[in-house]
Amino acid sequence: MFSYVKSLQYPVKISATNPALAKFIISQYGGPDGELGASLRYLSQRYSMPYPEFKGLLTDIGTEELGHFEMIASIIHQLTRKMSMEEIKKAGFDTYFVDHTAGIYPQFASGTPWTAATIGVKGDVITDLTEDMAAEQKARTTYDNILRLSDDPDVNNVIKFLREREIVHFQRFGEALHKTMERLDQKNVYAMNPSFDN
Amino acid sequence: MMSGVDILLSIIKGGKLLENNTPNVKPDDNCGYKYGYLNSCAPLATSWVPMQQASTPAYGSGEALNRGTLFPGLDLPFKNMYNKTNPYAGTPLGELMALQFVVQELKLYLDTHKDDEEAFKALKDAIALEKEGRLRYVKLYGPIQFDDVADSETYNWIDGPWPWEYAERTGK
Repeated sequence: MFSYVKSLQYPVKISATNPALAKFIISQYGGPDGELGASLRYLSQRYSMPYPEFKGLLTDIGTEELGHFEMIASIIHQLTRKMSMEEIKKAGFDTYFVDHTAGIYPQFASGTPWTAATIGVKGDVITDLTEDMAAEQKARTTYDNILRLSDDPDVNNVIKFLREREIVHFQRFGEALHKTMERLDQKNVYAMNPSFDN
Repeated sequence: MMSGVDILLSIIKGGKLLENNTPNVKPDDNCGYKYGYLNSCAPLATSWVPMQQASTPAYGSGEALNRGTLFPGLDLPFKNMYNKTNPYAGTPLGELMALQFVVQELKLYLDTHKDDEEAFKALKDAIALEKEGRLRYVKLYGPIQFDDVADSETYNWIDGPWPWEYAERTGK
C-alpha cells in the first residue's frame, strides 16, 4: 500500500515560462532513463529479491523515485502553465501542444511514449542490482546533459539535487551488490541464482 | 568527549561540518570519509563498490537538502556546481523538507548498514524532530499526511495549493 505525503521532496519554484526547456526535461519524466522507469524498475524487482533488507532498499528507493517523478512534472508544469501561443510556436513546443495542450504526459524528449522496454527485471539478484547501478549512472548523465543545456537557475537548482540523488542511490545499490557477493559461494558466485534456486 | 552519534545529532540540528572531521572512523583506519572499504581478496568477474564506513561526518539538515545528500563523502557535484540555498529555506515547509530528507538519507544508509547502532539512534532522533516540524507546519498550513486532517476543523485535505503549485504555503 502507498499513501501520499502532500509535499515535494525538494522545492520546485520556477519563475520564468520556458517551453523550450520543458521539451527536453520531459525526458526525465517518461524518457528512457527517467524517473517513472526508475520507480517501476525497482518496485517491480522486489518480488524476486531474495534478501529482506534489499527488498527494503528497492522499496525505499522506488518510492523516492516516484517523488522525483512528481518533481519533474512540477518543473514542466511551472515552465509551461502560462505559455502564450507565440511562445509555443517560437520554442517548437507546437508538436507536443497539439497532442497534450499544457498537460504532462510521460514521453521521451524525442516524443516516443514511455515504454517498459527501457527497464529491466531479470529475476536474478546480481543482474538486477547491476542493472540498477547502470540505470542510476544513465540518469546521472541525463542530468549532466540537462545542466549543460539549461541556463535557468531555478530549474538547475532542482536538477542538481536530483542528479546527486542518482549518486547516492548508485552507492546504495553497489553496497547491496557488495553484501550479496559476500553471501555467495566465493569459489563460484555464479553457481546458481539465489533468486530462484534457493 | 562526544560520541559519533552526538556529533551527528548536533550537526543534524544545525551545526556545521568541520572539514576533515571523521569522528566515526577508527584510529587505525587510514581511510578518510571520502573513501570506503573493499575486500582485500574478492572473486574474479564481479563488481565491488566500496562500503561507506560510517554515517558521520554529516551535513546539517538544511545543507543536506541543498546538496542532495546528508553525506559529504557522497557529495560529488557536476563541475563542482552545488546549491547554496533552496527556495523554501528558512520557512516552516523548508525546515520540514530538510528533516524529511535527513530521515530518507539515514533510512537508505541503514538499509545497507542495518547493524550501525549510531546511525539508528540518529534516525530515531531525526524522526522525532521531523514529527515536531510536521506538527508546526500542519498547525499553520493544514494536513501534509492524510491523518493530519483529524486535527482540522474542516475537511481541508483537498485544499490547494498542491505541492507542484508553489504559493503561500511557503509563508512568503
